[in-house]
Amino acid sequence: MTSGRGPFRVRRERALLRALLLLATIFAGGCAQKGRDSSLNERTPSPEHRKPVVYTVNYPLSYFAERIGGPGIEVVFPTPADLDPAFWMPQAEEVLRYQSADLILLNGADYAKWVRRATLPPEKLVDTSASFADSFLVIPNAITHSHGPSGKHSHAGTVFTTWIDFTQASRQAGAIYDAFLAHDFADSLLLRRNLEALQDELRDLDSSLRSITQKLSGQTLFASHPIFQYFARRYGLHLVAVLWEPSEYPAQEQWDHLAALQKKHAESWMIWEKEPLPASRQKLLQMGIKSVVFDPCANRPSDGDFLSVMRANLENLRAAL
Amino acid sequence: MREVFYLATRYLSYHRVKTAILVTSITLIIYLPVGLRVLANQSRAELIARAKVTPLLLGAKGSPLELTLNSLYFESEVPDPMRYAEIARVDSSGLARPIPLYTRFRCRGFPIVGTTLDYFACRDLRLKSGRTLALLGECVVGWEVAHRLGITVGDHLVSSAENVFDLAGAYPLKMRVVGVLERSYTPDDRVIFTDLKTTWIIAGIGHGHQDLTNPATDTQALQKEGSTVVANSSLMQYNEVTPENIASFHFHGDPRDFPVTAAIVLPKDEKASTLLRGRYLSQKEPVQLVSPRELMHDLLATIFTVQSYLIAAVLIVGLATLATAILVFMLSLRLRRREISTMVKIGGSKGRISAILVSEIVAVLVLSVLLAGGLTLVTSHFGSAIIRSLILS
Repeated sequence: MTSGRGPFRVRRERALLRALLLLATIFAGGCAQKGRDSSLNERTPSPEHRKPVVYTVNYPLSYFAERIGGPGIEVVFPTPADLDPAFWMPQAEEVLRYQSADLILLNGADYAKWVRRATLPPEKLVDTSASFADSFLVIPNAITHSHGPSGKHSHAGTVFTTWIDFTQASRQAGAIYDAFLAHDFADSLLLRRNLEALQDELRDLDSSLRSITQKLSGQTLFASHPIFQYFARRYGLHLVAVLWEPSEYPAQEQWDHLAALQKKHAESWMIWEKEPLPASRQKLLQMGIKSVVFDPCANRPSDGDFLSVMRANLENLRAAL
Repeated sequence: MREVFYLATRYLSYHRVKTAILVTSITLIIYLPVGLRVLANQSRAELIARAKVTPLLLGAKGSPLELTLNSLYFESEVPDPMRYAEIARVDSSGLARPIPLYTRFRCRGFPIVGTTLDYFACRDLRLKSGRTLALLGECVVGWEVAHRLGITVGDHLVSSAENVFDLAGAYPLKMRVVGVLERSYTPDDRVIFTDLKTTWIIAGIGHGHQDLTNPATDTQALQKEGSTVVANSSLMQYNEVTPENIASFHFHGDPRDFPVTAAIVLPKDEKASTLLRGRYLSQKEPVQLVSPRELMHDLLATIFTVQSYLIAAVLIVGLATLATAILVFMLSLRLRRREISTMVKIGGSKGRISAILVSEIVAVLVLSVLLAGGLTLVTSHFGSAIIRSLILS
């Protein structure tokens, strides 16, 4: 009897083993599939337990974001200190870093033209000046050209130094607050308190500037660059812009052009965005034109912060006038 | 009882050809309708999967099916373009997030799809090598494009001219491949992805050229009047975006008027979806908002009607085969009359002998059910991959 059962038992055990192997293979296949899926999911980092990262395209926005968000938010403004953020063109690696941010604060008004030439995630973009886009100013007399079938077209641009009208700066700060609130970046009360403190300071700057510039009301001023239009509009100034670099001594034809403009407008002031060369300042003085510096502070200052630079601008104006 | 099973299995293994035929036919009777159903369900799921993750599609008024097939599979006729403003309209509604698609252009037989980074997240596309899109003029290719064209990161692809006789038409743009996607077994494997703005450059809406204010380009100027420069045809337009010339690339006109072929619309919730669909019901609307899921369901319902007929036919054949199997068992009993009487003579009880015969039938049935189950498992496990390959090929 035992010898009769032997082969039966062996075959049965083999069959059982095969069935188990088949089941194990199917199960392992299923597990491998599940494992692949879960490993894909793991690649998405959890946003919890880490500081929200906010990238900006200029320093004023960076400052506003730091003030409103406080230490709970990491604000990154990657433009090199020696470059104008409006005309900076980031490399692909820098664009990828922008893409990895939780939020990207744009100035709007066609500022930072690289944004049009880069691939950025639309849902992360916040146009801080969208609420007053209908009151943007456009640079007149920009080059217009035509070629090919598309006909005449203009490269005229929108004036983008929106923040030197402090009421606009305040609205941009408000847009940043709204975005932080919508993304639940920090406690809403804290955000509100920080925004109000910042807006109070911007309001003080605005009223100070209004009282200072009252002396210039109705007068025409020269501007070394066409970037002070919002400033002029807000504070009732009439500006005539030239294209002079503070770090370069103007060519003779530029002086001649200014002399011609002076005959027409009889101004006695020129606003510079940076300290001009002493020789330029001296020659202007000889022409009866005083120089005053108003730094728009588009890039991070070497000393102080946005508000301290703006207060220094006010002091420059106050002292000069 | 063990002895009964032993005798039954010995009988079956001795008559292995007869057993094999019986097991095969019963296995097929069970497996065919069940396996077919599994395969059909998987095919349906595969076909509907893309529509499922595409809640709504926005496009110009026209054939909804054409819009759906082009936007999901990039294969049918390119639908009429709609204004980019329509996408901004959906976005500003706060009800949904739109992902634009511009599928007008092709490159070496593969579609070029201009979109935003959201598309990759929406379709859960992963990079196999390289990086994602960052600047104008870059593209990321699907697995099959890279595989078939032998493309790797750093290579270039030139968009195809739409019409060789239209010299003033869309300029071919040399695009730099910056990334290759992992295989997804979806139509995305056969796509060249680029930024929407890059497709607008291919369309001629944006371009880069020599600086016309530079005195060096005076020979290219036909006419200079104040701030207006009219250039002649010798003005060099760039057909590739490089670090040196990227700053010269610009767009003409209002971006709201720029064309897109469709937009994937991702509503916040069911309520937002309903509200949004309600807004596009008017006949005056220049665009339509369609549900690809519903459209694909309708399409598949028609296609899969044939499946019911097929299963019914298989069931009828199955019943006939089952009847034949019963007949085989009955005839077998007749043939084994002498064997059964021998078993009675050597002392086998009626119950034991019946148990042996029933065990043989049960063993055949159990083996067939197990085999059919195994085949169904294998079908459900590998069916998806086979269907994906079939759909893609």
